[in-house]
Amino acid sequence: MSLQQGTVQGMPSVVAGMSLRRRRILIHATIFIALLVLWETGSRMGWLDPLFYPRPSAILTSFWVLFFGSGHIWYHLYVTLGLVLMGWIGGSLLGVGLGALVGFNPLVRRFLKPYVIVLEATPRIAVAPLLIAALGFGATSKIAIIVLVCFFAPFINTLSGVVNVDPSRMELFRSMRATKMQVLRKLVLPDAIPVIMAGERLAMTAALSGALVAEFIQRDKGIGSLILTYTRNLNMASAFACIFTLTIIGFLIFKGMELADHRIAYWKNEAGMKRIGDRRRRAMSEQGRG
Amino acid sequence: MRKPSSYQIEIALIRFVPHLLLFLALLALWEIAVLTGFITSIIIPRPSAIIGAIVELYVTKGTIYSHFFITLTEAVVGFAIGAIVAVTLAVWSSLSEGFKRYVSPYAIVLNVTPGIALTPIIIAWFGYGMGSKIALAAVICFFPIFVNTLTGLLHRDEDREELFRSVGATKYQIFLKLRVPAALPLLFAGFKIGLTTALIGAVVAEFAQATSGVGVLMSRFSFQLNMAASLATLLSMTVIGLLLFYAMEILDDRIVFWRRDTRMATVSRARARAWLAKSGE
Repeated sequence: MSLQQGTVQGMPSVVAGMSLRRRRILIHATIFIALLVLWETGSRMGWLDPLFYPRPSAILTSFWVLFFGSGHIWYHLYVTLGLVLMGWIGGSLLGVGLGALVGFNPLVRRFLKPYVIVLEATPRIAVAPLLIAALGFGATSKIAIIVLVCFFAPFINTLSGVVNVDPSRMELFRSMRATKMQVLRKLVLPDAIPVIMAGERLAMTAALSGALVAEFIQRDKGIGSLILTYTRNLNMASAFACIFTLTIIGFLIFKGMELADHRIAYWKNEAGMKRIGDRRRRAMSEQGRG
Repeated sequence: MRKPSSYQIEIALIRFVPHLLLFLALLALWEIAVLTGFITSIIIPRPSAIIGAIVELYVTKGTIYSHFFITLTEAVVGFAIGAIVAVTLAVWSSLSEGFKRYVSPYAIVLNVTPGIALTPIIIAWFGYGMGSKIALAAVICFFPIFVNTLTGLLHRDEDREELFRSVGATKYQIFLKLRVPAALPLLFAGFKIGLTTALIGAVVAEFAQATSGVGVLMSRFSFQLNMAASLATLLSMTVIGLLLFYAMEILDDRIVFWRRDTRMATVSRARARAWLAKSGE
């Protein structure tokens, strides 16, 4: 995988012999470790109050304890991720459904527009206490909060994906007498699906944030309440361990959604095109033989 | 500004009337649904009750204003701090390949971490006052601004850059006259997203722990099951959101004038007049 072979003047001889990629990884690691060491020594020398700014070593220890020592975090992870998933599914179904309804219907669109603008300007997460008061404590109100927080991005993206059809291509389709179904399947959806997928990605991130806020407000279980409890007890190392767990989850969600995006909207990237193209070619040649 | 003719006003009115009628019809339907007991008034209050709460909060008692301005200040100051840091880092990253390479992993980590998760920790660090709300607003509005500015600055129009170089433009000139103007529309898009997220940060931090601000007011009313007042408070957040959004929209319109035809025409007319006046002297 070496990108480029070459030596740079002024580099130490060990580093100069490596490929560019390896050298970069080494520099990244060096910077990262230097930062950690600086933080650790800063904390040990008393420049940073360890009560508020926990040491990297303490965070690592509590990470270990949370996951493998007491295994305390697993249950809360399970609760939070379950909420996120359910809220996200609800929110994206609602968003895509409403978006399509509004997008295909100019009259509805015209009359709904002011409400959408108002809703867009409102910080939707602010409705959380209201929903809790209305639906009571428990999973229902939490899921309702997540649905409300994450439905908007798929809604707007579906709407704009369905509305923004290339007019010259539309004309071509009309002139060839394409049926409505054909226009939808061959023209509207291929352009709209990547946009909708982008909305789904945003929705997933929003769902995670929504779940955390819901758990901050009603702290019974879940990662959000765990972070809050640890911080209240000034157990900052464990709080940070939870936050880094969320970083990992966020990263996995990001990568997972990217993968799903590439799979579903395969015509937008070369690898996907090649994969499907190969499959179709194989199917065709088999058909030809049969 | 040209004055709109009476004909144009008439058209605007005719367009506006159906919207208004629909809105009033919805309100009436809602009111009836609650009055007949179809919807429980504890969960969803009557529109008239909400209007009553709005009048009380905004006109007769005016309780909302101090909270309103506190939240607005928190969001704006947090946004300003987040935006300054984000734009500085983005400009630096666009100028130096090395800086970009070694800073971007940290920016990505910051992006995939839900910033809201930091709420309790930030409150522990910055206290119960406005400081923690400003800090959270700054943290969560940082990333969209950073990414948009960097994307805008990294986008290069090779042909134009060649033109600039061929007429002997310095690096500094290329940056200031070519790359910055090209990045401005995206920068403003980032600012608009950032303002909304900054407001969310301020409100969420207020939910978690605060003594004043619309977030506090909102959760207080909700826990008293005073849904009408709670919805009236929510309205103030919408107002803050719209206020911030349109302020940014106006700035966008003024600064990135070449993106909109009407603004472009106005600006070029003004410039032509100035030029004529100068040459006439």
